[in-house]
Amino acid sequence: MADKQASNGKDYDPVSAFREMRDNYLDAWAKAMVETVNTDAYAKATGMMLDTYLSASSPFREAVEKAMLQTLQQLSMPSRADFVSLAERVTNIEMKLDDLDAKLDRVEKLLAQPIVVQTGKPAPARRSRKKGAK
Amino acid sequence: MQPVEAVEELASLPEKFQAFTRAVKTRAAIAQTPKEVIWTLNKAKLYRYVPVLPAEKRHPVPLILVFALMNRPYILDLRPGHSFVEFMIQSGYDLYLLDWGEPGPEDKNLKFDDYVLDYMPRAIRKLKTVSGSEEFSMLGWCIGAILTTAYAALRPEGLRNLILLTAPLDFSDKEHITFAKWVDERFFDVDKVLAAFGNMPGELIDYGAKALKPVDNYVLNYLKLWDNLDSPQVVEAWQAMNTWVTDNIPLAGGAFRQLIVDLYRNNLLIRNEWVLRGELVDLTNIRANLLTVIAGADHITPPCQSKAIMDLVSSKDKELFHIPGGHIGIMAGSAAHCNTWPHINGWLAPRSE
Repeated sequence: MADKQASNGKDYDPVSAFREMRDNYLDAWAKAMVETVNTDAYAKATGMMLDTYLSASSPFREAVEKAMLQTLQQLSMPSRADFVSLAERVTNIEMKLDDLDAKLDRVEKLLAQPIVVQTGKPAPARRSRKKGAK
Repeated sequence: MQPVEAVEELASLPEKFQAFTRAVKTRAAIAQTPKEVIWTLNKAKLYRYVPVLPAEKRHPVPLILVFALMNRPYILDLRPGHSFVEFMIQSGYDLYLLDWGEPGPEDKNLKFDDYVLDYMPRAIRKLKTVSGSEEFSMLGWCIGAILTTAYAALRPEGLRNLILLTAPLDFSDKEHITFAKWVDERFFDVDKVLAAFGNMPGELIDYGAKALKPVDNYVLNYLKLWDNLDSPQVVEAWQAMNTWVTDNIPLAGGAFRQLIVDLYRNNLLIRNEWVLRGELVDLTNIRANLLTVIAGADHITPPCQSKAIMDLVSSKDKELFHIPGGHIGIMAGSAAHCNTWPHINGWLAPRSE
């Protein structure tokens, strides 16, 4: 038997045959699933599942949120809403700082440019104040 | 395979399972290219990558990368030797990356209006200050391409080159856009979802992306790892990609609602009717040189979504580049460094002088 296989130049490999069969099957399955998910029926089914989950979990979620809020209030601790409001204020301050940074950049740029006097000639370079000068 | 070898392979199964589990659980070292934060606002950060070429050898026009809102941007800098960022720095660009960060409950009202008109102009002002250049190039990928398109239409000053990668801009061909079917108002109640979660959870977005090709993502992906456990290169690449894929972030509620209602359902952008904070996103205002890259086998942004923009902009210099591959594969796949990256560089380099 072994001699016969050797004379054919190749051995029978059950694993590679299984792999080939597996890959062909998976390839066909993958193509079929891509077509399936691109249908109205699939969209309707997933939409319905999500909707059911949201409807079912909503009362529990609201109850937990309410209970948590009351607990935090009784413990004199900030709630999520307080943190959200604080974070929004911090972002607003960041934006104001960013605007100031932009203005400073513009001022710095203007100061770096040579001043052009009315004659059209550039004015002499500014002299920096000497150390210790009042 | 001889029977003895088959038995040996069976005997090695427990060891293989261990290696497989280890590979799946291990987080790869990603985003290794040195960079510094030069600007922040809320969760957003602007990074500047440390240049590797001296200033005289670099292109004078800097490039800013803008990625999607619901994924981490380090896909652009996945791992050393396989990083678009690394490639572009070595090609002589002064490179910046806008990272949107992870929105928290306090950001649930953030909209495209805020990202395009508050965040982007500020980040670009900083880029101009740091780079010393009044002109810049911008590359947007996926939702990042929506942001960059809107920005280019509303604030075109200084934008010399615009590169759009797999840009979901046109939502008219609903038959070929699976997402458009799923979020149809008959089946999907966006307000109910946002009332429950505030922001669109990353896990739901991830499920949506994976469910477009369920067998590929939930079966074949792991089978590929299993079959290649003895190849360190394949395992390393798989881990890096898996690290990125499983690192999900939510999408700000306001922006998600706009994405569904304004774009997927009403296609306002390409109809030139999208209004952000009272300003019309007029695509004819786009005059920058334009390169649009389309992935031929993109299941997330089918090619039909990226073509219409070419006829609507006022750019005189524009190119539509088709490339075989998927939504992520064209930029992060093993062949990206041979086709997509060199093409982008070849297009951008002469336009950055």
